[in-house]
Amino acid sequence: MRNKSVVTEAREIQLAAELIRLGARLQMLEAETNVSRERLLKLYKEVKGVSPPKGMLPFSTDWFLTWQPNVHASLFMSFHRFMIENTELRGLDAVVKAYRLYLEHVELNGLECVLSLTRAWTLVRFFDANMLKVTQCKCCTGHFVTHTYDLTNDYSCGLCHVPARAGKTKRQASATAVEAVAAVA
Amino acid sequence: MNANEIYNEIKELNLNYLMLAQQLIRADRETAQYRLGVSKDIAEIIEHLTPGQVLKMAGTNMVLCRFRFDDSMLLGLLAGHGRDRGTSHTHATILASAKPVESIS
Repeated sequence: MRNKSVVTEAREIQLAAELIRLGARLQMLEAETNVSRERLLKLYKEVKGVSPPKGMLPFSTDWFLTWQPNVHASLFMSFHRFMIENTELRGLDAVVKAYRLYLEHVELNGLECVLSLTRAWTLVRFFDANMLKVTQCKCCTGHFVTHTYDLTNDYSCGLCHVPARAGKTKRQASATAVEAVAAVA
Repeated sequence: MNANEIYNEIKELNLNYLMLAQQLIRADRETAQYRLGVSKDIAEIIEHLTPGQVLKMAGTNMVLCRFRFDDSMLLGLLAGHGRDRGTSHTHATILASAKPVESIS
């Protein structure tokens, strides 16, 4: 759709640039702004210095159910819920604010940034489409992301009952090995 | 600590709290609401306090901000020595953001 007003267009481009900086993919920009595809492409290259990644967006809800992504997704959704319940922010604004809080948390605690902005946005869309919901953990009463039609009578979250090998990835193992070598030397 | 000292310390704390809160709210209201754990109405009131009002409010023998984490689970996660600090802080944050905010009745 072509924009009539120059001021509106300027604002939309500003928004798109901000989203690109936060790591949005082209599909998300197309859905959330009225800027044409060619302009978005140009803008993306200008802001990031590289062409946008091609291919479809991840469309599976299962990704959000594995251990580490589930923790991060639940964290993001807790920020998002706070925004929806306590402020007047809705839609994209709420997603971006919650995502900034998420980034801050990840950085403060030295965690890996598992959830990209596009993933976070997709997550909210899955919630809107009733494909995912939050379930209260029976141990800690925290809210965690689950499938809508999962049986969750007796649900306990991945943080109360951490699976044995959770978070022990190859990358982390090599990082600790490097640290150990450094400590010995 | 005598009464006068206590009064001065509390006044200082209140002043710091109110000024920080004002600064946060003016910079980014929604994020500040999250950080302070207050509702829209309270954020609005704090934002529009004049310096005179801030001084007047701060000058009491009561602390103006209150202890937010009145939940033993949450306290344990924040202060305890879990196996991984990042993970227990993440857990605590998930629990804490679901807590109701302070609001005006």
